[in-house]
Amino acid sequence: MIDPRIAIIHKRLSPVKRILVFSSAKGGVGKSVCAAVSALALAVAGFRTGLFDLDFQGASAHILLGAELCFPEEDAGIKPFRIKKNLHFMSFSAFSGEHAVPLRGSEVSSAMIELLAVTVWDKLDFLIVDMPPGIGDEVLDLLRFMERPEFIIISTPSRVAVRVVERLLEMLRSLSVPVIGVIENMVYDHSGALPLPPAGRGVEISTVKSLAERFQVRLLGSVPFSPDLDNAIGNPDALLNSVPGLIIQKIISELP
Amino acid sequence: MHEWALAEAVISTVEKVYRENGKKPVAAVNVLLGELQSIEMDIFKYGLKILLEGYPFGPEVFHFRIEKAAFKCNYCGKEWLLEDHSGLEEEEREAIHFLPEAAHVYLCCPFCKSPDFKLKKGRGVSIASIELESS
Repeated sequence: MIDPRIAIIHKRLSPVKRILVFSSAKGGVGKSVCAAVSALALAVAGFRTGLFDLDFQGASAHILLGAELCFPEEDAGIKPFRIKKNLHFMSFSAFSGEHAVPLRGSEVSSAMIELLAVTVWDKLDFLIVDMPPGIGDEVLDLLRFMERPEFIIISTPSRVAVRVVERLLEMLRSLSVPVIGVIENMVYDHSGALPLPPAGRGVEISTVKSLAERFQVRLLGSVPFSPDLDNAIGNPDALLNSVPGLIIQKIISELP
Repeated sequence: MHEWALAEAVISTVEKVYRENGKKPVAAVNVLLGELQSIEMDIFKYGLKILLEGYPFGPEVFHFRIEKAAFKCNYCGKEWLLEDHSGLEEEEREAIHFLPEAAHVYLCCPFCKSPDFKLKKGRGVSIASIELESS
């Protein structure tokens, strides 16, 4: 039996210049916020941007963006939703609504292959991929099917998060996958003065900074923990203008 | 009309096999259409016909068979068919049409109600075989 979907994925992604994969081996570190704000920031800056939520079981990008999802339009494939000028979006949630998505690994793979095979992206400068936590099927399939992915790794300063994220960096290094850098997220600002000082100085000894140094990747920036961020959820403008949003915008505008 | 996207995927696969085998003429392509995805056969065939323009093989080499969808519960071990499910809403059918894995959202084992089941066969579009001429 031959799966015909595999052969078309390369063509589907061919209109995309750069694929930025927001990933972390640890859950709850703010991947989706970083991915969604980065996509918004790129779109506002005039780049044609796509946001692809591959976290099927914990899809949240549409909640962050306040996007009301319905079935996508069809035109020789399925068309991503236009969220705002320059920003298009695709998510499993378009088909599952807000129901639980009880998929096993092979089913996650199949759903991902299907979405990659039938989603027809317009010409994009950037495709932002919001990954689920872990080093499971989604990451392995992404490495198998997506050419040219560039990873942006998210970690909090927590030593637990750093230890877990280290395993993802080890795997990516062993596979020679490009890593643009690490974002240190949810940093507690001891001084109380926001925005934070330059990357890596948000805490007394930055565990994320030393992690980046060990793997010889850039520390892209430090994003403060902000209890007010929750009030911005569902409102793209408020997200962009939140303190974390402004810093993520700065990080994404300085990408190599 | 995302049938066209799947038809294009089938053509790309056949073309790849054709190229990888010294461009031997394609004699037959046996396509399975899984019942679960409810592919519109007429749209799929029409898309195939249009998209095949310029390829070294035509629509006449493609043969189709509908494959019944069959499930097995990972929890109680019982098996059943798609036709054993009744009362699916139109929107739920449409979601499964777009993305067959959405079946795990809207269906459950009719015996024990578990959502943890395996789709044994009949998911979506697959190619059973591609036959090339020997000379």
